[in-house]
Amino acid sequence: MRYLLRRLVHAILLLVAISIFSFALLQWSSGDFFDAMRMNPRVSQQTVNGLRSQYGLNRSFPVRYAAWVRSVLKGQMGFSFSYDTAVAPLLWARARNTLLLTSTATLLAWLVAIPLGIWSAANKGKWGDRACGVATSALLTVPDLLLFLILLLLAVRTGWFAAGGMVSLNFNHLTFWSKVKDIVFHFALPSLGLAVVTLPVLVRHIRSAMIEVLESPFIRAARGHGIPRTRMLFRYALPAASNPLISLLGFSVATMLSASVIVEVILSWPGLGPLMVQAILARDVYVVVGVVMLSSVFLVAGNFLADLLLFASDPRIRVE
Amino acid sequence: MLKVSPWKSASTRFFLAIACVLFAVSAAPAQVHEERMVTNNPPGHAGGEIAVALRSDPKTLNPAFAMDAASQEIIYCMNADLIHINRETQQTESALAKSWSVSRDGRTYTLQLRRGVRFSDGKAFNADDVIFSFQVYLDKKIHSPERDLLIIGGKPIAVQKINDYSVRFHLAQPYAAAERLFDGLPILPKHLLETAYRNGTFSQAWGVSMPPDQFAGLGPFRLKKYVAGQRIVLERNPCYWKVDSQGNQLPYLNEIVFLLVPSEDAQVIRFQAGDTDILSRFSAENFSVLERDQAAQGYHLYDLGPGLEYNFLFFNLNDLASKNLPQIAKKQAWFRDVRFRQAVSSAIDREGIVRLVYDGRATPLWGQVTPGNKLWVDRSLPHPPRSLARARELLKSAGFSWKGDGTLIDAHGNPVEFSILTSSSNAARMKMATIIQDDLSHLGMNVHVVSLDFSAMVDRLLNSFDYEAAVMGMASGDADPTSEMNVWVSSGGTHLWHLNQTKPATPWEAEIDRLMNQQLITLNYERRKRLYDQVQQIVAQQLPVICLASPDILVGAKDRIGNFHPAILEPYALWNVEELYIR
Amino acid sequence: MKHQHKLWAAVVLLAGIHGVILFAGFFAPYSFSAQDRGLPFAPPTRIHFVDAQGKFHARPFVYGLQDDPNVAGSYSVDSKRMYSLHFFVQGAPYKVAGLFSSRVHLYGVPAPGRIFLLGTDAYGRDQFSRFLYGGQISLAAGLIAAGLSVLLGIIAGALAGFYGGWIDDVLMRGGELFLALPWLYLLFAVRAALPLHIAQWQVFLLLVTVIGLIGWARPARLIRGAVLSGKERNFVVAARAFGASDLYLLRRHVLPQTYAIVLTQMTLLIPQYILAEVTLTFLGLGVGEPMPSWGSLLTALQRYYILSSYWWMFLPALLLIPVFLAYYVAGDALQERLKSVPL
Repeated sequence: MRYLLRRLVHAILLLVAISIFSFALLQWSSGDFFDAMRMNPRVSQQTVNGLRSQYGLNRSFPVRYAAWVRSVLKGQMGFSFSYDTAVAPLLWARARNTLLLTSTATLLAWLVAIPLGIWSAANKGKWGDRACGVATSALLTVPDLLLFLILLLLAVRTGWFAAGGMVSLNFNHLTFWSKVKDIVFHFALPSLGLAVVTLPVLVRHIRSAMIEVLESPFIRAARGHGIPRTRMLFRYALPAASNPLISLLGFSVATMLSASVIVEVILSWPGLGPLMVQAILARDVYVVVGVVMLSSVFLVAGNFLADLLLFASDPRIRVE
Repeated sequence: MLKVSPWKSASTRFFLAIACVLFAVSAAPAQVHEERMVTNNPPGHAGGEIAVALRSDPKTLNPAFAMDAASQEIIYCMNADLIHINRETQQTESALAKSWSVSRDGRTYTLQLRRGVRFSDGKAFNADDVIFSFQVYLDKKIHSPERDLLIIGGKPIAVQKINDYSVRFHLAQPYAAAERLFDGLPILPKHLLETAYRNGTFSQAWGVSMPPDQFAGLGPFRLKKYVAGQRIVLERNPCYWKVDSQGNQLPYLNEIVFLLVPSEDAQVIRFQAGDTDILSRFSAENFSVLERDQAAQGYHLYDLGPGLEYNFLFFNLNDLASKNLPQIAKKQAWFRDVRFRQAVSSAIDREGIVRLVYDGRATPLWGQVTPGNKLWVDRSLPHPPRSLARARELLKSAGFSWKGDGTLIDAHGNPVEFSILTSSSNAARMKMATIIQDDLSHLGMNVHVVSLDFSAMVDRLLNSFDYEAAVMGMASGDADPTSEMNVWVSSGGTHLWHLNQTKPATPWEAEIDRLMNQQLITLNYERRKRLYDQVQQIVAQQLPVICLASPDILVGAKDRIGNFHPAILEPYALWNVEELYIR
Repeated sequence: MKHQHKLWAAVVLLAGIHGVILFAGFFAPYSFSAQDRGLPFAPPTRIHFVDAQGKFHARPFVYGLQDDPNVAGSYSVDSKRMYSLHFFVQGAPYKVAGLFSSRVHLYGVPAPGRIFLLGTDAYGRDQFSRFLYGGQISLAAGLIAAGLSVLLGIIAGALAGFYGGWIDDVLMRGGELFLALPWLYLLFAVRAALPLHIAQWQVFLLLVTVIGLIGWARPARLIRGAVLSGKERNFVVAARAFGASDLYLLRRHVLPQTYAIVLTQMTLLIPQYILAEVTLTFLGLGVGEPMPSWGSLLTALQRYYILSSYWWMFLPALLLIPVFLAYYVAGDALQERLKSVPL
């Protein structure tokens, strides 16, 4: 219990440190949101300066940080210059879309990786395992970018999938079930792509963890007892191999918000990724800090969750 | 007693007649004759909806603050101005002001407003709304960028109400492009925004998350629905004040849906797939991809020729005395020599840029005014072909020479090397910089390209001056030279190569100042043209900017859209949105 | 295949790939920046043995290219112009590792013929030459960044695992901080703040260093785990009882147990960091023109018109696979080999 409390305190300190660091980074980097306006020959320097001070961009770092913290406590999380609204509602809407995408992708990936990894480990050295190894290595070496682009090309050429976006043109005119089908049609491709990208690492880890367990004495004993193979694999070997897998799961949760940046940008999925990239390029500082903080919260929570699960599931750790 | 009927008495009849007239007169405002504007397009028929892609979310629907393209495009469809610039002819025409007159000294404009026009919520439009709108635009505390456009001769224009349908504008000095001022300044509804203005909350008014019933505009469409991050739906304005030649009320379309599609490639894909009806302003590489499926998919592509955008290379000629940049300051000895700049210009392969960067769909430029600006381009400007020999002669005469291995060195023996700054988000300019880098290597110059994100680049160009050369592009909002005053006048805020001048740094910049200020107050077009031609000639000789190319404006639309007449001024495809209809 | 054979096969493949890339100047017929503005987006050149008349030539040859009159933006072969393929030709001068220069290239065709094994890019530059030169940048990036990460990871992981307590806490939490950092934004900021006068390669090194610095957390965690279990081994306890200092214990007994992990981490990290370089260049943070890197070769592919019209631009991406495969196979074989070695 004390251990958990300690971790919680650490987590909060970490988040504060991240917020200060992000803020400092933004202060230090050159340019601000109104630079694009400065390049417009029909707008004067005075107007830009006036707008800058109106939005508080020429105050000092501690003042701005304190104002931002106050805004966070009020639930607003600062102000977005690009969208002319508070940051918080922007974040929740986008985060929901991203979570929809990544949780589906994670589910898909795990559903495929577990059986595949187990089968590969059980048939270690045979052609099936080697073919699997080559396939995962090949998938690992293909950059995410390339994979998503190929999927996009596929979508356009065949029309089996939607070519981007979240909903169709006539979304509002559809019935409820048609709406559901429409959304599924649109996010099949990005979630498929994301699942395929995360699959190889999962398979490899599951495979190596299973291999280690399969070579241990108690499995040999179980085999000697005549326990059927499938039962042995899933009921005996898998739980013993779960230690690294739980860390991996925690890691999946931790990176849930950041893993999908590239796929969202390429396939126009309205999630946190495109928001972050655009905000960085436009120097929309509070949005950047907001997205970073949200991702950090997920990261820390995911690690914490992993530690918790590990604690609960693996008796060996409790002894320490 | 005599029984006389009151109706028979002459005096009663007289008083009754007066009473009727008075009654009729007092009832008149409720039935003012509506003065509609009759358009001259081929008539279409009502109905249908179209989908258009937007590259980014609109930032605001408040015309006083909208600076980005997405917001401006939507505001254009929802609002109207007093005098409008016809994007096809590039000349002004009447809009909410049905006529106007100019005083003899050119400093007073009296506008007659159309009567019987109503906002999209049904409330009447009159001079009070005009006064209110200009009050807002001119208010210093609001910080609207529109205010800068309304400062003539150092003083903001003054507006005065004559009567309910007539206003007068006073300018501090005669101004050639005065009529064009009014285009793009939508008239705001006083009845909806006055409270916010008095409370000081005007800057938060009409943000994108406002409910649609709080908007009212004079444009062909009004806001129906906004879904953040996805779409904006506009519906027909039933009170719109334009009719076609057959008397049908405009607009024809029932709805316009703006879909948010953040990347151009995604827009092209969705257009090809039939999700959107209009593809506005796409890049040359996608033209050949779309061209193949034209007939099969039922759309048509339009290459409208060069727009107003001009891309250029320029050197850092700023005064670096107060900055700690000794290496750049040393190199400025090269950059400041006009022969060096002329040699660079002579060595650049503009045809190669047109072919490789824009797939042939661009025009090479030797001056800042493109051929698309029909009224102002100086057709007598020389277009010298690329000549490395000429470049070498110019360099020799400026004291440069070549080492044995071909490296160019200056008179002190320093090898000529510098960097070209460009924005990483603009692929075309990065390509141009790469081609220039290769061209200049033939002269023995060691050039490398540095790409930064836009904000970082702008910071270096405008604040820290920490750059050597840069490739940039400018696209003025209007064809008229006055829109570029800040670029060419030496004290201007976008006089990029040498900012913050208190007095002109060179004789030719002083001459440009004189010519630009002169054309500002010259009302006669021919005289203005001659003055501006001279400016173009000086720029082409002195080369503060080395112009490269201007891309063609490319748009696409489905065949089923009638009255589609894209133009090279923004908004390219939707400038006549009220005339579009579905065949 | 026995794991020794697998390991040696992978090592030989890696050495071959790195050797070819080191001597890119020799294996590539053209310089990486030579533009042929008349031939943008030319398809890969086909090598023929039999000419249009049906005659067989012992020495292979290529045809010249001309603009196709029927299809805009396309090329067709001009069978009247034949250029034979020669080996060990004299061509553009180049330097090997910046030390000695040469003009000998492995293969080439006499000018004005051109041989583009992987086609050309938007400026008419030979993609094959750019792929080889680009490998110099990308592989160097991967190696340096991975080395840096692992070095820092060893230091941090050893300290954390060996001493435990608050050092462990601070280092592990610090590691989380580094993982949570918006490294994307950090890199943008670093790139923008750099002065323009420093050379391209210095910018590149700086960026690579930053990536390497950010990535130490994961190897550190693994090494910490190994050190935690390693320091409790009998012989370590015994050595400590004999009065060995901490440094001696670490150097002689504990760290050697982590070599297996270190080596496998390196072979896994290098391809990851190469992909990180690709992502950086994708976002505009890589080395500038005209220096190629594998990242800049792949950046072109994000445009739809290239995907649909110019299929050969995919080829450099496909060529990456054997490189990464070699690293992964080496890593796998190493893992198996080191597991079977008794400790």
